[in-house]
Amino acid sequence: MRNSLNGMNELSQILDSINLGLVILDGELRVTYWNRWMESHSGIPAEKITGLPLFDFFPDLNTPKFQRSCKYVLTFGNFAFFSQKLHRFLFPFRPDSSFESGMEYMQQSCAMGPLRNEDNSITGLYLTVQDVTELAAYEHRLLEMNMRDGLTGVYNRRFLEKRLEEEYERHTRYSRVFSVIMFDIDYFKKVNDNHGHLCGDFILKSISGKVLSLIRKTDFLARYGGEEFCCLLPETDLASAMGLAERFRAAVSDMKHLYQETEITVTISLGVAQMVPGLTSSTTLLKMADEALYEAKRTGRNRAVSYPRPNPIPAE
Amino acid sequence: MTRKILIVDDSPISRKMLKSCLPKDEEYELHDAGDGLAGLEKFREVSPDVTFLDLTMPVMDGVEALEEMKKHDSQAVIIVSTADIQVKSIEKVTALGAFLVLKKPPTKENVKDALLKAYEFLKESHGI
Amino acid sequence: MESDYPLISEEEKDILQEIMNIAFGKAAAELAEVINIFVVLNVPYVKVLQAEELPEYLLYEVRDFSNISIVEQNFWGKFKGSAFLVFPAGAGKGLITMLDPDHETSFESGSIEVLEKETLMEIGNILIGACVGKITELLGDVVTYSPPKVVVENKPHDILPNKLFDPEYTAIVMKTLFRFDERNVNGFLFLVTTHESVAWIKQALAEFLERYE
Repeated sequence: MRNSLNGMNELSQILDSINLGLVILDGELRVTYWNRWMESHSGIPAEKITGLPLFDFFPDLNTPKFQRSCKYVLTFGNFAFFSQKLHRFLFPFRPDSSFESGMEYMQQSCAMGPLRNEDNSITGLYLTVQDVTELAAYEHRLLEMNMRDGLTGVYNRRFLEKRLEEEYERHTRYSRVFSVIMFDIDYFKKVNDNHGHLCGDFILKSISGKVLSLIRKTDFLARYGGEEFCCLLPETDLASAMGLAERFRAAVSDMKHLYQETEITVTISLGVAQMVPGLTSSTTLLKMADEALYEAKRTGRNRAVSYPRPNPIPAE
Repeated sequence: MTRKILIVDDSPISRKMLKSCLPKDEEYELHDAGDGLAGLEKFREVSPDVTFLDLTMPVMDGVEALEEMKKHDSQAVIIVSTADIQVKSIEKVTALGAFLVLKKPPTKENVKDALLKAYEFLKESHGI
Repeated sequence: MESDYPLISEEEKDILQEIMNIAFGKAAAELAEVINIFVVLNVPYVKVLQAEELPEYLLYEVRDFSNISIVEQNFWGKFKGSAFLVFPAGAGKGLITMLDPDHETSFESGSIEVLEKETLMEIGNILIGACVGKITELLGDVVTYSPPKVVVENKPHDILPNKLFDPEYTAIVMKTLFRFDERNVNGFLFLVTTHESVAWIKQALAEFLERYE
């Protein structure tokens, strides 16, 4: 069966060359028009699909929401919309660009509208499919940037506080155990004074990278302040958190940072705290870890201390 | 013959619209009321041949008025006029004794049609 | 207040009110068919305001809602403007089960926030489309719509849109109660439109009534 618009020359040319998918369905949701954009992105030639039900080729489209929207448009002549944010896509096509987005499928913004004949009765509907992959990728990057620290690439404080709040909720509701590690770089000001701020930045990046490699996928590392970091560990009790803190400490103290021909070593001090019932807010937990960190500094640095029972693990 | 028609609707525009849809080739004695309670009173007073009743009205709504009118005269021809044509709404008023449901806005055709049916019924049940 | 802009007379308001009654009745019937449950849209209370008066009026009307959700959708035809559907916060959550009573979609789409927003958008699109569509149909126009946008759960003062303050615009407020099955969801629909559109409406209302002379 051939496309029904073959006779209309100029319009036909436009519809087959624009960067927009266009599908026309009749009252039974059979395809009566499938433009070239749809052909090239689906790999389905118009001749093959016209006259047949859309769901024969795209069974996953047959959802209550889609059916409802079709019914709405066909019965009342109003419009229906499928935004990318909520639906991601209607048709599972590959993205146009190979380098783009990291998205597996093309992101689409779609709309549906009525088609009427001369006596104004509704005979079918049209569906437009717009590729918004680039836009979606850009938004995703923006969101990421919003959550991340520019220098080190780990999460930023804003994100951490949000995540911490969520963990706190989870704890109050389901009693899930979690812990935090606060750590900062010992004598960091000296590093900046002796070797410059760029060196300081370099060290921050190296250390955060090292610590990142030691944590699990479900843990969150964030830069909390200038040289201060906070690590959120869901489903982790104090003992395990202390063990991890010690691994951080050891790994960092072993690192030899080479910056412009100079070898520099630094150490970190860590404070560890576990969430306990009865804390009024998530920030209290941070305070606890902070106090433990302070204790670590006070008792000599390059060590991990837990709250409430100070239990310093001495450095080698 | 002159028919007694009662129109109960809180919108003067709606009453006007309905009146203008009545077939021009007939004689009518027209009465109207602006709310359910006044409509019920008029209904009892006048005993109309056909009543047009809106559903959404203040003081007493159409559903209640319908019930009361039917209590007063179970054979009364009451045509419910409404824009809400959901199946459930229609079922509800039909169960309460509405003669038929007229879709708003009224047209000369659908009003004429409704009246013809009403007269048919009146002839058969009352011999008028 | 000096009036260069076309006003709506009392009689025009009455005709508009009747149009609204009819439109809302039909919209309820449409909605019921689409979402498969019994819908009641109470007779809307119609008020015509100049756009500058709207923020104050609205703030008063929503004073009992601590937070509100708004769905906005633009439409254009001979009658053009923006439609706003205002719900109290939490309405979205209550409406979710309406669109999805068997919890088929459950939380695939992500958090409840996303699902709530999606529901508001869909219901908003249907309600606005039904109401505006019916009104324009009765008055002899066909309109196109932009996709709906949702602003969810914010305090009233923060999010009333700017265009309301433009003295060039007129607002037609329709306050109605939406009832879905046994659930009451208080909502408002209001339309903000241009003076050209108001002129068109007056004309269209007159023509509408003429058919009944």
